[in-house]
Order: sequence, then C-alpha cells, then structure tokens
Amino acid sequence: MEKQVIQSVGFRNIVENGEVTGFQFKVRLPYYRGVFLSQLRTGTVTIDGEQITKEHVIWNINGQDFTAEEMKDDFKTHWSVLTPAVIKVKKPGGLAQGYHDLSYGFCFTSSYMPPIMQNEEALNPDTESMIFMPEFGHHVNSRRMIIV
Amino acid sequence: MYHYDKKGPKRGVALYSYSAEFGLTKTLEDCFEDIHDMGAHGIEILANTHIENYPYPTDEWVEKWFRLCDKYEIEPVEYGNWIDSHVLAYRDLTTEEAVEMLTRDIRLAARLGFSCMRTKMPVINEALEPVLNWREIIKGALPVAEKFGIKMLPEIHTPTNLKSEMVKAFVDFIKETGTRNFGLNIDFSVFRTRFSEGEWVDPAFKANDPEDLIPLLPYIHCCHAKFINMSDDFEETTIPYPQIIKVLQDNGWNGYLLSEYEGADKYDDGYEVTQMLRKQHIMMKRLLGD
Repeated sequence: MEKQVIQSVGFRNIVENGEVTGFQFKVRLPYYRGVFLSQLRTGTVTIDGEQITKEHVIWNINGQDFTAEEMKDDFKTHWSVLTPAVIKVKKPGGLAQGYHDLSYGFCFTSSYMPPIMQNEEALNPDTESMIFMPEFGHHVNSRRMIIV
Repeated sequence: MYHYDKKGPKRGVALYSYSAEFGLTKTLEDCFEDIHDMGAHGIEILANTHIENYPYPTDEWVEKWFRLCDKYEIEPVEYGNWIDSHVLAYRDLTTEEAVEMLTRDIRLAARLGFSCMRTKMPVINEALEPVLNWREIIKGALPVAEKFGIKMLPEIHTPTNLKSEMVKAFVDFIKETGTRNFGLNIDFSVFRTRFSEGEWVDPAFKANDPEDLIPLLPYIHCCHAKFINMSDDFEETTIPYPQIIKVLQDNGWNGYLLSEYEGADKYDDGYEVTQMLRKQHIMMKRLLGD
C-alpha cells in the first residue's frame, strides 16, 4: 500500500459489456483505525477540472458496491485501514490515455471527538478542517495519475 | 497461550504508537517482534485497526494471532474498543444497539485472550463528558463481560483530572453496582508537569500528583504509559515517571504499563516510533528493575 491516500495502483477505466462506462481508483483510509461506512462523509471527484458529485460515485469495500445513500445507514460494514477502497466513477467513455489530475474529498466521524468538531461544517469532505490533525488526514487528496 | 507471571507493574506496548507506520512500513508481526526486542510482554491492540476482517475475523487469523503471542512471548492485555454510538449522522444509537456493539467486542476480546478493554465512550461536549446513557450501556454489557472475564476500562486522559467529577462518577458506578468488570485505565498524561515554550495547554488541565493514584488503585487495571519527550540519557522530561512507578510499587499494584506515543511527529516522513519506544523501555526497565 502506498503512503499517499490516492493509490497509483488501481487507476483504470471501467469496461462493462465491452463498453467504457467510467473509471476507478483506490483510496486508503488515512486514519489510525477502521470505520463503519456510516461514519464516512463522501464528497466530489474532480477529474481534470470536471466535478462529479457523490451520486455518481460508488464505493467498493471488500468486493461489495455501495452507493452514497446505502452507506449513510450502514453501521455494520467495516472499512479496514489495510484495504484500500475502490472508488468507481460514472463517466461514459472513461478517460483518455495519458495524464489526469484527480482530486477526491472524503472524511469520517469519531464518536469520541467533541460535537463541535463533528458538525457538517467541520466535516465537509470538500474543504479542509480548521485545524489539520495528521491522524485524521486531509479531507481532499490530489494526485496526478496516468491511464495506459 | 503465553502468560507472563511477574507481579507488580509490567511493561507492554500499545500498538496505537505505530499508527503512522502500520500497514505501510510495518506489519502486525513487525510490531510483535519490536515489542519482543524491548523485552516487554504485554500488548494493547486497537480492535478496529489490528484485527483483520474486524469485527468478524476468521479462525485462521485468530490462530495466527495466538501463534504471534507464543512466538514473541507476548500476552494479550488490553483490547482497544469504541462505543461508537454517534456512528449514524442523523441519530444516536439506541442503548440496545450500543450494548450490541459493545458485547460483540467483549466476545471478540475474550476470543483473542484479552482480559481488559480500553472502552472509549462517545462524548457530548468539549469537556469530553460521556453520553448520558453510558451507565445503561455498561450495565447492559456487564453480564457478558462477567461471563467472559473482561474488564471494561474508560481511559482517563488529559485534560481530565483524577479528582474530577467524571472519575468520581465512574468510581461511584463501580461501588453502586459492585461490579468487577468495569474500572479505569489511567493515562500518564494526567501527571504531565512540563510543556514546551509556546505549547498550547488546555486551560482546564491541572496536573495530578502521582499520590492521587492511591485511592483509585483498586479500580485501575491497566495504565497508558504516555510519554512525550525522552532524553538521550533515557529520561522522560515532562512526566514524573520515578514517582509514578514508586507509588505503584509501594502500594502493591499489579498490571501492565502500556507505552503509548501520541506525538503528531510520528506522521513525519521517515519517523520511526521504535526509537522513542526503545528509549522509554530502557527507562522503565531501570525503574522497574527488570
């Protein structure tokens, strides 16, 4: 597993029934413990400046697909710090060969943190929190990636 | 299963210390070997981090866990768990749901040979006070904890004071219920007397005297041997370790001191926490005479 949150391994177009329907990449959890899916706050994928909102993004945890709506209620499925999640993004035609600038925002709640650090403003996946704490990682991670 | 018989305060390591390295440059076995190098015999894990396929590990993984304990002569001491009752965005878990989450952890802790759990409470304010129904949640889990011989221990950590209402509420709960399955884990951050220049200190913090431990000792089953700064001649410069260890020894306390390094610098590139852990274990080895 790479130290960066967005992994270079796992970045490719998604082909379904012979058709390119989107692309996928992997993220690791930049926290010291795993989380249940309902703890996640997922945000926007930005690919080469184009924004793709969370309704068009699927999280795949241990081989199982989850929509943002499904994750909201799921406090039984656990995402481990050792297993990157696969993020599947709908984009007919996928991405062209070559470089792409990718950004993705997500963060997560913690029951032991004071409520003031847990509200919607503090845990906005698309903006950084007021104070950066390394053990919670950045909300938005960016990386220049290559599609072959 | 490996068992270390020494009485009195004993050395162990909380795997939390390896947070920035675990899964990237250190495997679970690397952590075990590192602890073995230090001659420490106790381990604390974080359930949600170090157990593969948590909360439902395979039998193969559990076998591997016991193999590691035997190979490196390490005793499972404390299982770090969270009562994550704020896990949903739109409502708190009900007491029943929280009890279910907690008892799942108790069963798993017992399956892995642990005797204590560092049970992290969900909080409701900046003073880190626990949810109002914490007593009901703990009471709901006590029969299972009793059956499996597990002690649930909230951690008392800076800025909380050993003489605070929060600690009193926990002790009163133990007295009222008469339970032996709930107690305290004291984090040595409560004894910190020195801070670096310009460092932010919570205005609510008042350092405890090591003697303040004495009335609580019957309820303390594990300690977090917190350390902030180890000098090159193996002394902790911010926490009065010699006095703390003396209080524990003089009063016949028996249990593990689990090293927990919390400094944010452990996330710096190239940082290796074992350098700090090893220095601290030289200090503790000297103080404990082992």
